[in-house]
Amino acid sequence: MYPFHHPFDRPVHYEGLFPVTNRYTYGIASEKFFRALKEEGIILGTHCPHCDKLYVPGTIFCETCLSELEDWRAVDNVGRVDTFTVLYKNLDGTYRTEPEIVAFIRLGDGGLVHRLAEIDPKSVLIGMQVAAVFKPPEERTGNILDIRYFKPV
Amino acid sequence: MNKDVAIVGVGWEGFHPTSVDYSYKELIYQAANKAYHDANVDPRKDIESFISVAEDFFEGTSIFDEYTPDQLGAVLKPMHTISGEALHGLISAYLMIRSGLFKIVAIEAHSKASNIKSITEVTRYALDPILQRPLNFHPDFVAGLEMQRFLHQSQCSISDCSMIVQKNRYNALSNPSAAYPMSLAETKLSEDDFLAYPLLESHIAKPVDGAIVIVLANGDVAKDISSQPIWIKGVGWCNDSYALEYRNWGELSYVQKAAKMAYSQSQITNPIEGIDFAEIDDSYAYREAMTLIALGFADNTTIRGLIREGAFYPDGKLPVNVSGGSLGVGYLFDASGAQKTVEAVLQLRGIAGARQLSQPSTAIVESWRGVPTTSSAVVILSNQRE
Ligand SMILES: [Zn+2]
Repeated sequence: MYPFHHPFDRPVHYEGLFPVTNRYTYGIASEKFFRALKEEGIILGTHCPHCDKLYVPGTIFCETCLSELEDWRAVDNVGRVDTFTVLYKNLDGTYRTEPEIVAFIRLGDGGLVHRLAEIDPKSVLIGMQVAAVFKPPEERTGNILDIRYFKPV
Repeated sequence: MNKDVAIVGVGWEGFHPTSVDYSYKELIYQAANKAYHDANVDPRKDIESFISVAEDFFEGTSIFDEYTPDQLGAVLKPMHTISGEALHGLISAYLMIRSGLFKIVAIEAHSKASNIKSITEVTRYALDPILQRPLNFHPDFVAGLEMQRFLHQSQCSISDCSMIVQKNRYNALSNPSAAYPMSLAETKLSEDDFLAYPLLESHIAKPVDGAIVIVLANGDVAKDISSQPIWIKGVGWCNDSYALEYRNWGELSYVQKAAKMAYSQSQITNPIEGIDFAEIDDSYAYREAMTLIALGFADNTTIRGLIREGAFYPDGKLPVNVSGGSLGVGYLFDASGAQKTVEAVLQLRGIAGARQLSQPSTAIVESWRGVPTTSSAVVILSNQRE
């Protein structure tokens, strides 16, 4: 298929690097969501009165009917495992010494992707109730890691 | 005005785990040469517009559309690049011809995956920067979550998904262009090498390099230049919410809607009767099963039995991924839909060699943009104009 033979001392490619750094504005909805997480230890959603849908995390518009949403509501810090996975590899492709459980936790009509801890991976079940474990208030900085993980209740 | 549009030429270069000699431009040039020969067209005279499909981060070059005209014969001609799946490009070409403004359009898609030294980082960069990236998970956690929910709803097992890997890699034995063929006897898949339980490493299609060019023409031109035009009977595309948080993990509603759109244009009311074979997404083995449900060939109660009875083998009720699919051919990222289209064209022309199906007339082609997207497109092809 490839007729050209390259001895190893011949240049065949050039190495490139693209150092990308970005800033991501939270916006009105995420700022409110993370402020509540940091300052009050609560999870906020917004309710669409037309669709009767509770978006978690809260958003300022309904993706179903495009109405502006203003009805902010705190949801219970306890949700159900909608689905989960057990990760055996790190981002760099190396194997983890201990596998880690990642779950999608249903809260309202949305939810959060987060770590699941204080449970053996073999004991996790779809539908089980789990609660958010927050960092102590003085350690919270207003991002998703202010929740350390979810744990069974 | 004649509304029919046909594929009149296909050409590809590949597919190989690596391609150290050819640059991506040379891969595309090879594919283009073959496609133009197949279509019996002179690209500089006959082809009126060109579309390439490329994503900057995979290319390693910003504003990549600058780099696409020359190798296709598109310099100083109408040309644009779509950051989407190859099927989105194919559908755009179809619509351009349907508009009546163009008679012959070419599309190009490629993968030079072996040049991307940090594929996992590129995929991670597609995750929500605020809600998911800080968690620092391997991005295939998304596939793990989706597969787990699918197994829960369908009663399929990990072994059922392994059977899909076996089928597709076995099919690839009859495809000389496939990079990852394997005989059934050899595919005793280890069922303890998990990346994201229940997702096994062996259930993930491995990348390949390659390029595909496809030439489309309106009905009158197609009839004149091609002895075997393959007609586009229907097209559909759809995206769900981008948010993992708002997603329904157990079903592929966007695939279902894209298919519904294409079925209605093709006047197919029952896909089980109207479709002879399918070339669909299998970038993760479980996705083939989920996609078959979304396309209307099975439901959550029947899929397990159909997999186990071999219904999707070449001699089964509905041959699926006879080419070997992405698991057997190799994963071409956004060019995957083009590889699947080429297979459908070869089968419908009756020139698919050792893997030729018995006189198929209608095919469905589906592709998905991969983790973490909800972006899918569907095309229905036939060798019958009416
Ligand atoms: Zn609404």
